[in-house]
Amino acid sequence: MSELQRFTLQESGTLLAWFEPIELDLLRLATGQLVDMLDAGAADPELAASDGVFGRLLPAAYLDDDEAAAEFRRFTATDLLDRKTHNAKILLDSLGTNPADADDILGEAAAASTERQPVTIAVDPDAVQAWLRSLTDLRLTLADRLQISPDGVVHLTGDEAPFLRELYEWLGMLQEELVYAIDV
Amino acid sequence: MTKTAEDTELREAVALDRPWVTLVWDDPVNLMSYVAYVFRSYFGVSPEEAERLMLQVHNNGRAVVATGNRESMERHVEAMHGYGLWATLAKADE
Repeated sequence: MSELQRFTLQESGTLLAWFEPIELDLLRLATGQLVDMLDAGAADPELAASDGVFGRLLPAAYLDDDEAAAEFRRFTATDLLDRKTHNAKILLDSLGTNPADADDILGEAAAASTERQPVTIAVDPDAVQAWLRSLTDLRLTLADRLQISPDGVVHLTGDEAPFLRELYEWLGMLQEELVYAIDV
Repeated sequence: MTKTAEDTELREAVALDRPWVTLVWDDPVNLMSYVAYVFRSYFGVSPEEAERLMLQVHNNGRAVVATGNRESMERHVEAMHGYGLWATLAKADE
């Protein structure tokens, strides 16, 4: 990490966030995928009611009453998914428009990143809450893909595991820095 | 001390009025700092109380973060899910 402070909270409540271009690309890619996933869940309530990542984003509200849990889900799932999508889109908007695809990020862009300058972006006070929640949703989603068990152990193996794990840990660091920056 | 009819009625009224709790459960993903932040900013508790509840979640696997009627507990649970915390509601005596 750079000596530069990642987040600076201004007196106005606006948050300044400092990123390397490659970090911004990664965050944009991950958030874009989160938006797509949430959209798919919103379009297909059965998918959203299934286990897996939606089971963690919208957990059962009652542990030993399936009927009450189903009813709670019926009344809250749409709103919760809408808000999560809304937050993810706010995060994505703050990152600026320059959607890169995965190949760009892992190939050319990474190679060229040394030539690109760090970027400071301004996050409105209202958008800061969306950042906090969306970073959480991103980490919950990645934890599901990484098959992280309750004891915190990663069970995913294979080529993409190291990259996803690094991204997961980086997002955790980012969120920790964000919490400390806004915690007055 | 002997129980009076008023005591019993009062106790029943309280039991009817406040029979539900909101529980937040430990998970391997959410950061301790974030969980304490959520308790502070959503429930408006002091930093010390937020820290105490967060450590209870972390060490005991869960903590009761609110008590009240069923409707308000459902509202809290929905809000916690909005923050990405794992929360449930249950009858207080469970």
